[in-house]
Amino acid sequence: MQPQRLKKAITDNPKKLGNLIDLVNLPSTLRDFLGQSQISRLGCFMRVWSYIKTNNLQDPKNKNVVNCDEKLKSILLGRQRVELVDLPSLIKLHFTKTPKSN
Amino acid sequence: MGKIPSSFRSLTSTQLIKKPTASPPPRNSQNRITGTHDSPKPPQTTPSRNPFKSPNLSSAKSLFNSIAATSKIPLDTKFHNSVLQSYASIATVDDAVKLFHHILKSQPSFSPEPSTFNILLSHACKSPDSPLSNVHRVLNLMVNSGVEPNNVTTDIAARSLCESDRVSDAKDLVMELSEKHSPPDMFTYNYLLKQLCKFESLNAVYEFRDKMKKSFNVKPDLVSYTILIDHVCNSKNLREAMKLVSDLGADGFKPDCFVYNTIMKGFCTLSKGSEAVGVFKKMKEDGVEPDRITYNTLIFGLSKSGRVEEARKYLQTMDEAGYEPDAVAYTALMNGMCRKGASLGALSLLEEMEAKGCAPNDVTYNTLLYGLCKGRLMDKGIEFYEMMKSKGLKLESYAYATLVRALVRSGKVAEAYEVFDYAVGSKSLSDASAYATLETSLKWVKKAKEQGLAD
Repeated sequence: MQPQRLKKAITDNPKKLGNLIDLVNLPSTLRDFLGQSQISRLGCFMRVWSYIKTNNLQDPKNKNVVNCDEKLKSILLGRQRVELVDLPSLIKLHFTKTPKSN
Repeated sequence: MGKIPSSFRSLTSTQLIKKPTASPPPRNSQNRITGTHDSPKPPQTTPSRNPFKSPNLSSAKSLFNSIAATSKIPLDTKFHNSVLQSYASIATVDDAVKLFHHILKSQPSFSPEPSTFNILLSHACKSPDSPLSNVHRVLNLMVNSGVEPNNVTTDIAARSLCESDRVSDAKDLVMELSEKHSPPDMFTYNYLLKQLCKFESLNAVYEFRDKMKKSFNVKPDLVSYTILIDHVCNSKNLREAMKLVSDLGADGFKPDCFVYNTIMKGFCTLSKGSEAVGVFKKMKEDGVEPDRITYNTLIFGLSKSGRVEEARKYLQTMDEAGYEPDAVAYTALMNGMCRKGASLGALSLLEEMEAKGCAPNDVTYNTLLYGLCKGRLMDKGIEFYEMMKSKGLKLESYAYATLVRALVRSGKVAEAYEVFDYAVGSKSLSDASAYATLETSLKWVKKAKEQGLAD
């Protein structure tokens, strides 16, 4: 059945799950933003997304776009406007390569 | 979705579990302690649940001595049993046995009953030790004290071992006990059979069955056959299931509703609608009255194999047979309709079922949400999602994934994020899988867009 297949795809792939929830040492830009030195990619996404929500950074006219403030800009390649579609991939940029090398 | 097999399974297992006899005195220490309150108790026992604070043997002995010395009334076996039970819950088998000897020596009036040994036995079975030496030790102690192990002993040993995931030890021990003392009764036999099915290969299960039959004349009954058929059906081995059905006939049993339901479920999970209907007809021919489970399974199976019209017809038949269709039947049918793309029809079925006073369950809502999103009825889907949210219902992963994908596809990314928040907030699924779904959907739509622009 469909649901079982979907569930499998996500949780049965330890490698994929691993790079989502493993703690990673952060580069200095992210460290300043998050105020901690280690976080998982998932945790980082959650923090950034809740930061956007608490500071009402979504464009009131188009909710799909985020108007970055200075702090957020610093971790999202200095962009002024970021589409929500791109958010996960922008965050992923900080989490490439092997986690141990840092 | 998929609810029929599980509800069905629970029905089978309740049938198998009922076991009126053969229960030892209450096993958990709490019960025993409160149980002994009616027999007057020495005053110094603290209100704490377990009077024994440390697994240390000598302090346990002295505690027991002081209780025995201050007690004004004669201590009975019940009391000794509860002392042993309490101590065994924190001590090693070795120490528990030593305390038993101590009590035996210091209390001449104490004559151990089978229940006393059962306490020790169950403790020995639960403690980790590979070659079963502790278990044998307790059994020897039992025999030497003139208490012959009986089917209750066998049952306790088998269940305790299985509970600590030592199914194959349980099998060996049951065989040994059958040889030396008492063969298992049907409850124990079927329990063990079920456990073996779960953890061992089919060959090992059959080996056990044949050995028990040949050496100890313990033959499978109808329940055993149902367990076996269910097991082979779950591993999609329907040919074996058919063979078991003929075995069952050869043993002089007549298949009952459970057996038929099990086989039908096997066909249904493989989406073999015609075979499922065949089983239904055979059942009627044999004069076995189908029950609610039969109808639910059949409707589920037909819906699954895309024969929605027939499934609908059986919903009617079910009603006429006096089984008012429940949420499971309706949901199975809705599922079939959604798969066929008739999600609006499924939605109207929801109204129909509510009008008949049948309350939908979580699975019903999730199925419909899935169907609406799948059928690209985005507005209805969002409306439905809002309704589910207002009821605080959890999202199943398939419904969540379909909704998020549909939202992202129609450019409603912010809404998809909101659904993600709800899924995480309502603990519908783990953060990681909720996020993985969102991320994959976003990645996918970006790719599609890029390709669309490139064209």
